[in-house]
Amino acid sequence: MSDDQGRAFGFEGTWRDYAPIAFTNLLLTIVTLGVYRFWATTRTRRYLWSRTRFIDEPLEWTGTGLELLIGFLLVLVIFLGPLLFFQFGIQALVLQGHGDIAFAIGAPLFLLIFYLGGVARFRMVRYRLSRTFWHGIRGGSDDKGWAYGWSYCWRYIVAMIPLYLLVPWAMTSLWNDRWSAMSFGPYRFSAKAMPGQIYKRFLLFYLVPFIMFIVMAVFGGAMFATMSAAPQADPSQPPAGFWLFFAALFIGIYGVLPVIALIFYAKFFRVAIGSLSLDTLDFHFTARSKAWLKLILGDVALVIFTLGIGAIFLSYRHWKFFVTHLDASGEISLSQLTQSTTAAPGQGEGLADAFDIGAI
Amino acid sequence: MTHLGPDERIWHYDGASATRHHPRIDWTADGFTLRWDTGSSGPHGWSALVPVDGTGGRAVYGLRGQSGWRLGFTGAPPESFVAHLPLPARYGRWIDRIGLWRAIGLFGAIASVVVVLALKAPGWIAPHIPRSWEDRLGDAMIGDFGGRLCETPQSAAAIEKLRRELGDDVPIRRIGIANVNMVNAVALPGGHILLFRKLIDEADSPDEVAGVLAHEIGHVRNRDTLTALVRQLGLSVILGGFNGQVGGTINGLLSMSYSREAEKAADDYSIAALRAANVSPLPTAAFFAKLTKLSGGETVERSTSWMASTPVSAERAKAFRDSARKGQAYAPSLTRAEWQAIVNACRDDKDVAPPPSFGF
Repeated sequence: MSDDQGRAFGFEGTWRDYAPIAFTNLLLTIVTLGVYRFWATTRTRRYLWSRTRFIDEPLEWTGTGLELLIGFLLVLVIFLGPLLFFQFGIQALVLQGHGDIAFAIGAPLFLLIFYLGGVARFRMVRYRLSRTFWHGIRGGSDDKGWAYGWSYCWRYIVAMIPLYLLVPWAMTSLWNDRWSAMSFGPYRFSAKAMPGQIYKRFLLFYLVPFIMFIVMAVFGGAMFATMSAAPQADPSQPPAGFWLFFAALFIGIYGVLPVIALIFYAKFFRVAIGSLSLDTLDFHFTARSKAWLKLILGDVALVIFTLGIGAIFLSYRHWKFFVTHLDASGEISLSQLTQSTTAAPGQGEGLADAFDIGAI
Repeated sequence: MTHLGPDERIWHYDGASATRHHPRIDWTADGFTLRWDTGSSGPHGWSALVPVDGTGGRAVYGLRGQSGWRLGFTGAPPESFVAHLPLPARYGRWIDRIGLWRAIGLFGAIASVVVVLALKAPGWIAPHIPRSWEDRLGDAMIGDFGGRLCETPQSAAAIEKLRRELGDDVPIRRIGIANVNMVNAVALPGGHILLFRKLIDEADSPDEVAGVLAHEIGHVRNRDTLTALVRQLGLSVILGGFNGQVGGTINGLLSMSYSREAEKAADDYSIAALRAANVSPLPTAAFFAKLTKLSGGETVERSTSWMASTPVSAERAKAFRDSARKGQAYAPSLTRAEWQAIVNACRDDKDVAPPPSFGF
């Protein structure tokens, strides 16, 4: 296998190529009151996949807008109708003072939504693999994800019991479960991410809010003490420290917390992809926290400076980020890479769509 | 029969294995056959070919019913061959057929009709829903309001007097004083009107409450709550095409702009009812001005989705002020004793449930 650029994956698209797709998608989505967005998604993926090279060939997206629409309508009919009914019913129960009954109905309903969220995550990956072709071969899974939904439920519930300290375990084991059920051609993926690998970053994410809270409490207490000890000439004006306190609080909540969340996620994603293999092929993901931060800040700047229009380029940016940091090592035998025998799902990612679950 | 290749620029995947073939193509007017050193594919009719995205100067075709089968050309295939090939889809089959700009015009026209219908239809449908259905729905939703309705024999008599004077011909089924700490009044489906306790606390005279009550009676008379309910259900279906956030925003905007129209009609009713009852509109105008200050401007407070809101604005206060006739000998809507009965209803009603701690 020759590999000119040294990396197994490469992205060869340009935003100028993509712009006509993005703008016509936006226009058509508006004039169809949103119905076109299924076809818009498909066109975007066709473009992004076809500009993504793996070794010697680009990927190919074969999903259609129609199947996404059908998936969406199915979810609408099967789940959202009853959910809407329940929502009104629960409102009425609360108004009538039957809060306990509302809770009794609401809690299982909440669990059901949580369960379906898990199923949706599984089915999204399955659908995308089944529509992704390379050398005429596709991926998929014979598992439909209903059982995965249960492990998703109980693992997250167990993870919450010791004050959320088992969340890294839930994240890695669910990642492993999900990907180990997927295959490409005749080969099964194998994922062996360990929670220990991400635990240090998780503790950082977990403890920083506490530390921030303590610092703020000490700082605020000290400020209050000075204020009451030495009353100012004009008591109606708060001291300078007062505003500093709120500025620090603001930066802490809107600046520091998202960044440490990102630092944790960057590590998780590196570990998760790094644990993934397909037969003799091992995957790697090279983006570190700084690259993620640059991506997100770029996203924010793009959306703000274009007054929101730039949002149509976000999926392009994210895919490019994903592919340019993705790598694989090992050998792949083309003659042994035969067609997948998994059943391809008939419709698109309706559930994931309904719960607004993103790709990365 | 014409033929082409074998050639490096012509490649083929059979969909069974990932091996790349460089076939020779033989074709006639009816169809074509691919032949390479270890196998062949065909003959296939031209109509079985499906264009897959032509990417980066490549032309790629799939075969109907054979997943993963690909025939690709690096660069454009020769003219004599192209003549038989279908054109690749661009925006989607329907749009390609009529052209992008015409499609945008057509979809835009349809979308405008749909939006106008969505805005107007609830107003057409709601009056045709039988009162008995609305009553049953309203009763199911509200019940006894969790035992939070304040009532003494005296307050009930005072309220009944207001009802007779302000809306004797309107099918009101209950006017209740709700033990809820909110400055608000709502009309609910089924001819229910609730005056919240804080509203009465904030009012300085019975005439202020009379103006607000007459406004809610106007909503009951016009069946606005039912219209709002129908519209909300309809919009959530139509705008389902957008993802949650966009749809929600548009939904909110539309239902609000419409509800202003309904608010105006309810105000008109209130002004007319006060005039017929010979009650001065000036206290109500003053009350609105006061509420504007309390709520911090022209914010529309929508408590629950199907509750009609009572937005207060300077403009509305002016409408009431302007309706006052100079030199008219207005009479108070209630005697002092009757007003005190309403003010003290929640205090004097011994078995009323305490106000909820949460705001809804």
